[in-house]
Amino acid sequence: MTSPSQSDSLLVRRIREGDSQAWDDLIARFEGRLLAFAESRTRNRAAAEDVVQETFIGFLTSLPNYDRRRPLESYLFSIAAHKLTDLLRREGRRPTMPLVPTATSTSGWQPSAEVRAASSIARSDERRELEENALTAALHDIVEHWRQTGQWEKLRCVEVLFVRGWPNKEVAKRLGISEQTVANHKYDFLAKLRAAVRRQALPEDVFPELYQQE
Amino acid sequence: MPGSFTQSELESFLDEALPAEDMARIEKALRKDKTLAGRLASVHGRRNSGVHSLGDIWRRARVSCPTREQLGSYLLHALGDDLADYVEFHLRTVGCRYCQANLADLEAQQAETADTVETRRRRFFQSSAGLLRKGEGGI
Repeated sequence: MTSPSQSDSLLVRRIREGDSQAWDDLIARFEGRLLAFAESRTRNRAAAEDVVQETFIGFLTSLPNYDRRRPLESYLFSIAAHKLTDLLRREGRRPTMPLVPTATSTSGWQPSAEVRAASSIARSDERRELEENALTAALHDIVEHWRQTGQWEKLRCVEVLFVRGWPNKEVAKRLGISEQTVANHKYDFLAKLRAAVRRQALPEDVFPELYQQE
Repeated sequence: MPGSFTQSELESFLDEALPAEDMARIEKALRKDKTLAGRLASVHGRRNSGVHSLGDIWRRARVSCPTREQLGSYLLHALGDDLADYVEFHLRTVGCRYCQANLADLEAQQAETADTVETRRRRFFQSSAGLLRKGEGGI
């Protein structure tokens, strides 16, 4: 799940040239997983099919802006997520999110010092993408190393810590390991990422999570 | 999912990336919990300010997702024990929506008739192929 496969790149190239067989192939390859993705939320087959139909239309509409370095499946899932969100909002299932906190909210948008620092740095989209790509490459290296060396506990631990955001205590309980072990895995992981950020000379303040433990 | 929602889970919610049951739980809570709505707005604003989140990057890049071939082997019980255990964890505990969708698709392929699939694909094709021709040479 790292980069687009050669067959995906070739498929997109043929679609850009207007090849209808290639478009048929893309639909055949991806419609099933997109349908499953949508149906898990709509719980309604017809509505899920509408979401997938809009996803394919959205893909063709946005094709001039599609970055071929991006995995095709991930791109299609991101379009499907938007179409699904639109549908759920129209149906009133998904509340419209306030862009600013309400007056009665007790957790108003008061950015922390580190966020204020980051927001004060004028950065182009290209710069942000470069930062994300650098961190993505470092993450892939770390995870691949754990896989190759059979360090599955470490992978499980770090994945729920950061992808689900669960606290150390909960992770320890779920994985049946001590909180100290969780803390050690977290420390090692963050140290490796900090080293990668330093090697690439990236700004530290845009990755606040990396420095929380220091 | 532990009792309250974590920041990473709210980020995933914004991207429609949490497991369906967790998405529904947050939607339900948002209807009556203004504090949660405020937290969600904060997460949104934090993102827009340019701060990167490790969870966001991990999820977007699908750093730890098994390949579709591995998911197929998982269904056939043809993976080694360690990898099979990890795939189970990734699907059930992490709750990766994209891998869950791939797995459901692979399972459905074994159950659906060829006619049903073909009819559906025809509909998707016919509703979008006009755009393809319009973009010919220019997409």
